[in-house]
Amino acid sequence: MKANVKACDEEYYTHVEGIGSIPRDIYKYVTSDPMGDLPRFSIHIVIQHTLFFISFLVLVSTGLPIYFSDVFWSPYVIALYGGIDIARIIHKTGAVIMILASMYHLITVVGGTMLKILKKEFDLKRTQIPRLKDLYDLIDDIKYFLGREPYRPKMEKFMYKQKFHYFAVMYGSFVLTAAGLALLFPDMAAKLLPQTIGKIFSPVLIGAESFAAFFQDLARLMHADEAILALIVLAFWHWINVHFVPGRFPIQWTFLTGRIMREHQIEEHFLEYLNNLKEIPEEREYMRNLLSDNNLGVPSPESGKSILADVPDIH
Amino acid sequence: MEISKKCIVLYVLWLGINTLFFNDSLAVAADKENCLMCHKHRFNARIDENGRKRNYHVNENLYSHSVHRNISCRDCHTYITKIPHDPVTLKVNCANQCHIRPPFAQEKFSHRKIVDLYKNSVHGGKPEDSEILQKALPNCKFCHLNPLYSKISEKRVSYKETLARCNNCHPQSGVEMAYKHITHRLRKKTSRSSREIVQLCGKCHGDKNLMQKLNVSKKAMDAVESYNRSVHGKLVQLGSQKAANCINCHASSALHDINKADNPGSTISKDKIMNTCRQCHKNTDEMFVDIAVHPDITHAGNPIIKMISLSLGLGMYGSVLALVGLLLLETVGRRKDGARLVLKKGTTWYGKQKSVSGKKK
Repeated sequence: MKANVKACDEEYYTHVEGIGSIPRDIYKYVTSDPMGDLPRFSIHIVIQHTLFFISFLVLVSTGLPIYFSDVFWSPYVIALYGGIDIARIIHKTGAVIMILASMYHLITVVGGTMLKILKKEFDLKRTQIPRLKDLYDLIDDIKYFLGREPYRPKMEKFMYKQKFHYFAVMYGSFVLTAAGLALLFPDMAAKLLPQTIGKIFSPVLIGAESFAAFFQDLARLMHADEAILALIVLAFWHWINVHFVPGRFPIQWTFLTGRIMREHQIEEHFLEYLNNLKEIPEEREYMRNLLSDNNLGVPSPESGKSILADVPDIH
Repeated sequence: MEISKKCIVLYVLWLGINTLFFNDSLAVAADKENCLMCHKHRFNARIDENGRKRNYHVNENLYSHSVHRNISCRDCHTYITKIPHDPVTLKVNCANQCHIRPPFAQEKFSHRKIVDLYKNSVHGGKPEDSEILQKALPNCKFCHLNPLYSKISEKRVSYKETLARCNNCHPQSGVEMAYKHITHRLRKKTSRSSREIVQLCGKCHGDKNLMQKLNVSKKAMDAVESYNRSVHGKLVQLGSQKAANCINCHASSALHDINKADNPGSTISKDKIMNTCRQCHKNTDEMFVDIAVHPDITHAGNPIIKMISLSLGLGMYGSVLALVGLLLLETVGRRKDGARLVLKKGTTWYGKQKSVSGKKK
């Protein structure tokens, strides 16, 4: 019993040199600025998100009425854009913006990583690269949501949800770009693809009479399906996540300010918050004052037990 | 003297007003035989033996601005020999010679060449055709109206600018008409919009009952439907004039030579299809022409695409349901733990008393 208490105690309190022991649920006691307190995204990421945001809306609002051309609202949306021929030009312009933003992102990510490796500051845990820990985090988080665990897992800068979404967007924009190019230049695709990818697969495997026809059919399918999937995921998941989840209403300003709220950072990205404490002296000062003012974070021998006894009450 | 001058001025003014506002009555029609004596009346109509409404009114103003404005009535309606005429049983034959002699031509004008071309096309019909098929085949008038001249907007040079040079020598009205006629034919295959053409062809080819009676192939059966699913069809449905409509691919510039794919003269025959595609897709090669212009949405002939389509659909619904489920679970869990929807006084958390701070007392 005693050993068990001790172990839980260590998990609940995180001792940071020069600050004190930080309880896991300290996020309930900090004050946050809705515009964000702690750095999360660089200006590049903010610009890339804005470009993606705008181009995605433009692409969806011109692409959907073309795909669902027989639905009653399509002609009105197309008329808003000044006719189908103009809408097509706008769609292609949006696509170019999205492709440029993707390239910009790849350059900043690869370049930034190189720079960090050169400066010996690179930390795999602070990147989007998935680890096995993310799976455990997901399981622990579900346990917490169901009330089986007292606290959320301690997660890095990017949690399982964000990593999943990041790679979904990467895959989606790659597929959409490739399929869209095949639709825009069908004659080029018919020349190039059968000579490259088509050679790898045998025609028997593909089951089509012609490679060109197969790839064009595939592009038609993938472009539409992938776009609708992206729209549904963004509309029903991402937008709810940043607008309607408790604590985020009416909007999470990170996408413009590049900064995250303190309580959000501690709750969902605790390990990144520890990095913030190391890097930002003001934050160290804030946390030290908070702990000492409220008499928090110093587990006294007599209160240690009562805290743990109280844990189930939280849920 | 003074009075007669005033009279002349007034008369000229009267003529001017007439030409401006009462154009109808002054239009010079090709009505040498005075058919309009009866046919000018608006309610010159009846319901015939089969119950169809027939309208015999000829709007002189409209007719005199149409393509056939200089053709007298009996050039086409040759069977009329006396006034009042007998009930009409015959139909107009567009291969008739009319009394117009085109410039530089020795013979009278006739549509015979086009009619012959059309008779040889798939729509022309053959003596061995079934009765239903012969009934279903369209005649000239099924597609052709007697179109009015309309303005054409040009991108590079406005037609007025070009016409200004013609008008240096030629009388204005005739040249303008001829020019519009020629440019219209040069730039567009028909005076109908692409959407109207698809509707026109779809009148018969989209009629499944009729097509079933005619025993057409599976591909021809779904032709209209599958075209409307293709990107050409979708763009045309939304009003594009650039995307290919039916006759862009199925007819040459002679327009009436629509034929089945196995006919070597057809624009979609094996030898000619590449040239047909090249009208828009410049880099067409023998691979490109395999791409389905009338795509099959069921992917019946392509199990791999069918599988991908199915798994994409499953993946879509699966991931969306899983993500939204997790989101709901997360919201419920965090709400229970004391998370508020909105940030108030710098925090979204209430229920602190349950936790550590309560213990400091």
